[in-house]
Amino acid sequence: MTGRRWTLPSIATLSDVTEAVAAPLMDRRAGRDWWLAVIGASALALAGAVAIGFSLEWGPGLWGNNTAVVWGFPIANYVWWIGIGNAGTLISSLLLLTRQKWRASLNRMAEAMTLFAVSMAGIFPILHLGRPMYFYWLAPYPNTMQLWPQWRSALVWDFWAIVSYLLFSILFFYVGLVPDLATLRDRPGSRGWQRFYGFLAMGWQGSARQWRAQERTHRTLAAIAVPLVCSVHSIVGLDFAASLMPGWTESIFPPYFVVGALFSGFAMVVLIALVMRRALGLQGVILPAHFDAMAKVILAAGIVMGASYAAEWFSAWWSGEAADLRVVRFEFTGPYRAFYWAMLAGNVLAPQLFWVKRWRTRVPVLIGVSLAVLVGMWLERILIICETLSIGYEPSFWRLYAPTLVDFAILAGTVGAFVLLLLLFGRLLPVVSMHETRKLLAEEVGA
Amino acid sequence: MTAVAWAVFDSEGAYLRARTRLIGNERRIIGEWLPYAADSLGEGAGQAGIRPATVIAGVAGAAALFALTSWSAVLAYPFNSGGRPLWSWPAFLPAVVEFGALIGGVGGVAMLFRRAGLTRLNHPAFAIPEVDHASRDGFVLAVGCDAGPDANAVLAIMADAGAVHSRLQTP
Repeated sequence: MTGRRWTLPSIATLSDVTEAVAAPLMDRRAGRDWWLAVIGASALALAGAVAIGFSLEWGPGLWGNNTAVVWGFPIANYVWWIGIGNAGTLISSLLLLTRQKWRASLNRMAEAMTLFAVSMAGIFPILHLGRPMYFYWLAPYPNTMQLWPQWRSALVWDFWAIVSYLLFSILFFYVGLVPDLATLRDRPGSRGWQRFYGFLAMGWQGSARQWRAQERTHRTLAAIAVPLVCSVHSIVGLDFAASLMPGWTESIFPPYFVVGALFSGFAMVVLIALVMRRALGLQGVILPAHFDAMAKVILAAGIVMGASYAAEWFSAWWSGEAADLRVVRFEFTGPYRAFYWAMLAGNVLAPQLFWVKRWRTRVPVLIGVSLAVLVGMWLERILIICETLSIGYEPSFWRLYAPTLVDFAILAGTVGAFVLLLLLFGRLLPVVSMHETRKLLAEEVGA
Repeated sequence: MTAVAWAVFDSEGAYLRARTRLIGNERRIIGEWLPYAADSLGEGAGQAGIRPATVIAGVAGAAALFALTSWSAVLAYPFNSGGRPLWSWPAFLPAVVEFGALIGGVGGVAMLFRRAGLTRLNHPAFAIPEVDHASRDGFVLAVGCDAGPDANAVLAIMADAGAVHSRLQTP
């Protein structure tokens, strides 16, 4: 036995790991709660689809965007979703490279979260184009008009960032998943499911040669993923920082966006892990200690976020730039002040609860703080856009922003679709990495 | 070699003991299957070329996109955007870096498929009952030997190391 255990003593053999993860997936039918969740998430997704349909038919005039706040909800929601999406691969790859043992129980959920969140993120810039049917013009391809993308545009950067990151994350997810697909293929079950998993496993046998190749590839991809993730969200930060608007032209934006992504991503992983643990009975492999570790990261990230906000205020004061100072005053005392204070409460104050050790493992506190962080980060994305654009350099361009029902319906639709994808993931694929947990168990107890 | 001795172990320790003794006995291990990527596997067959393929593909992908951006912005579609130089190469880099990382990943995974022999859905190994354990909880060793006393010696080493199952396969 080597120090702290990340599995319960009831998980004593390698078979126990396989059964703990695979049995809920293959032997149990979906329960009433799962179906109710599917119906609820589908209803939200449908509402979003209808709102998107209306938007395609009548255009962005249905949204709250105006001549000053041209980015509005679509870009704010894009930044929020891609922040959550960035965190999954970052968490997984960072913990893999640093050989963190508690990674084994959480990495699969975090990576799946990435795939689904980035997919949701990609919807918004396309809709925001105004003419979304021409979104493929962002890609370089020979065409009869002899046009090429404008490579200096932040919109084109976003296109490459989203597409590259999504496809790369799928590769990273799959390389880690292949051995577990073979486990499901070889486990007794219906012929149809065995064929399904067998096809996805691509002929994985678990030979020494295959493990060496898989391990080498997984670590190599992780080494690429860390800078890739940082660059993706830095590009999102550059969307703002590269512009000439008060409150945005700051060199701190790229790293501040990366930390914000990690922050909101960990909050989402905590919620997903809590739900999956309870719904699939994974108490043997997801322990309170896992939540304790994640809560510590959220606390640390919350402190960095607080320092980043303080750096923004300090920069405005130190520069003496009137427009920057006006934006800071507007944040604290303007018409959006309630949201700004709520954002500070969610992102800076709420995580401080995790200084108390026992609260880092109390489910209601974990849920409360994670929701506060997610809402706080969403408000931050909204306010970054609305405050600067509402009160820019030119007073004749000062406009307030208010989202419409259609804006909210599209956001709700993406939340519904995200939850629906997670529900399907929980029924189709092992939510915990079985092969990595087996290895962890062997190290812990010499199984 | 006229036979294959098969053994299944239920722990990495027992598997390693058997492996070490067999190698010390100058036996020929013709196959190993495991339920996870044990650190004891160390360096060996299967890893070659994965990192070079990743780096080469990534650099080639990035270079190709950088060439495309430069050519399209300067020659194919020169567009004056706020008086900025046509060859605004720093602004081309975000897309180039992202694409390079993606193509590097594709190169690495392609080499994984090649090295691991993936996409062979119908491999003879799947017909071997012992190999079936490897995806769940078993460590499997296959050792080439001659039927008779030689095979018995191999099976004895396996049993002594803690094999939970062993058998001799003869043609």
